[in-house]
Amino acid sequence: MATIALPKPQVAKGKRGGRWSPWLFALPALVVYVAFLVYPALSSLFFSLTNWDGLSATYKFVGLENYFKLPSDPVVVTAVRNNLIWTVVTIAVPTVIGLLLAMALNGKVHGKPILRLVFYTPAVLPLVSIASIWGWLYNPQYGAINSFLKLIGLDGLAQPWLGQDSTALWAVMVPAIWLRTGFPMLLYLAALQGIPNELYEAATVDGATKWQQFWHVTMPSLRPAHYIVLALSLIDSFKVFDMIYAMTYGGPGTSTQVLGTWMYFNVFQYYQAGYGTAIAVVITLVAIAVGIPYVRSQTKEAS
Amino acid sequence: MSSIAPARIDVPVETVEAHPVGEKPKGGRGLVMTLVLAVVAIFWISPLALLVITAVRPLSDFIGNGPLSWPAEFTWSNFKDAWGIGNFATTYRNSALLALMKVPLGVLISAMLGFALAKLRMKFRRTVMFSVFLGLTIPIYIAIVPVFIMMRQAGATDSIFGLIGPYLAFGIPFEVLVLQSFFRQIPDEIIEAAKVDGAGDWRVFFTMILPLSLPALVTVAILDAVATWNEFLFALILLNSDAHKTIPVGLLNFQGQFANNNTGLAAGILIAVVPILIAYTLLQRWIVGGLTAGATKG
Repeated sequence: MATIALPKPQVAKGKRGGRWSPWLFALPALVVYVAFLVYPALSSLFFSLTNWDGLSATYKFVGLENYFKLPSDPVVVTAVRNNLIWTVVTIAVPTVIGLLLAMALNGKVHGKPILRLVFYTPAVLPLVSIASIWGWLYNPQYGAINSFLKLIGLDGLAQPWLGQDSTALWAVMVPAIWLRTGFPMLLYLAALQGIPNELYEAATVDGATKWQQFWHVTMPSLRPAHYIVLALSLIDSFKVFDMIYAMTYGGPGTSTQVLGTWMYFNVFQYYQAGYGTAIAVVITLVAIAVGIPYVRSQTKEAS
Repeated sequence: MSSIAPARIDVPVETVEAHPVGEKPKGGRGLVMTLVLAVVAIFWISPLALLVITAVRPLSDFIGNGPLSWPAEFTWSNFKDAWGIGNFATTYRNSALLALMKVPLGVLISAMLGFALAKLRMKFRRTVMFSVFLGLTIPIYIAIVPVFIMMRQAGATDSIFGLIGPYLAFGIPFEVLVLQSFFRQIPDEIIEAAKVDGAGDWRVFFTMILPLSLPALVTVAILDAVATWNEFLFALILLNSDAHKTIPVGLLNFQGQFANNNTGLAAGILIAVVPILIAYTLLQRWIVGGLTAGATKG
């Protein structure tokens, strides 16, 4: 095969399989990926331009009408606000706690493997089981949280955490934080162990305080870890669905609705599939927009 | 499916060694820090600890003495009740069957694609790579309506077989990302040597690439199994009869039925999470190594 004049003298030139060989390897995964992810995503884009109810055989093309309706839907306004609060809190708090734990675990401490195991444990549990566990802890009558508050004399603070607008969203974020702290902790711990000790020694010689060392040695060295934590948390935070669905079902009222659950309710409860998929399209576009820099960096690294 | 994507995987490494070389935890500050962390850890794990304590006591004892008391009596009957009413025999079988079918297939086809992207000369390689990695950012909701229609037309709703396609598709981006970066580290020379000896791409893939990448394959398979075991949204939408539900959907049902039986509910939740907890404890070396390998590169 006359493929010698190629710029990259990479791997053997597929003598046997010929130039179709790579595609034979790629095809099974690509077919599945296109059939069950790309194609459904594109057809959602189409459904979002119709008034389909999700059941009838027919529907009408309505252009961008569903999108224009979004801003005047009060639940969408609540959901966007909740999504934003959720994203900020469930990224910032786990990242900070994770970093603190990692720094503590990186110092002189006994029983590190056990401690690390404990802090990462919530991350492997099914979201639904985490929702069940915390729903049970929050139970107004028999829940451990109110019992604990009464035990330490703070009876006044005992309240139906998930049952009132003022606390419900925050109450759902607590288990999310519990679940999401383990990953940054592991990542930071690994990154901290990669910082050469000489850097600290040099800083000490130069008379840098611990605080200065943290800002001028530790933080800059953690930059790649910060980036991964932030990118993946951002992508993950935006997809929130399971926790809200399983803990509050969007309630009380619509106070804890997020775009993901509101989309679900529209499609599967209110038979407004067109409108619901328009919400899904919006979430997806935002998720792609925030994820693209990460995806691009991964692609570049691999080329 | 939750997507945790390290940029690069090396052999799973124990990452617990103290960073300051040669410093052993001893006396003073080390002890204080250990105590502080131990208190935080107890607090952190207390929801699970309470769950265990509640699951092994009779309901009357729980209600009489409150959730924070030490049980006056111990019993296994909560587990028996929860197991029967929660239909766990069925949901366990379904979840296990699904993972057994989905995980090996997903890892194999992802490894094949990863191999093509990392080691074969392929046209549009970067475009394919970018499009596949982009899948990491796509939320499941965008696909549920069309997938539901597709499965209804194919008569595959309410069957765990209908979940395999969507689960594979949403698992591929992460698996390909990790595997191709691992394959890339395999030196081209040994592949070329094999080719000189007359080995084709398939033989190289099966007899060299896969065996050399075993640690990465195991890590990816474990993470994929956890994600599959925990997936909720597709299962919620596609499965409706009790006979076909997976653990997460079954657990949600169960939670509704046991709203007033705190001890039974605790036992049921434990039944649902114990296999994951055991697997995690035994396999944590692989999970931790896989998750963190990307953080240390410069």
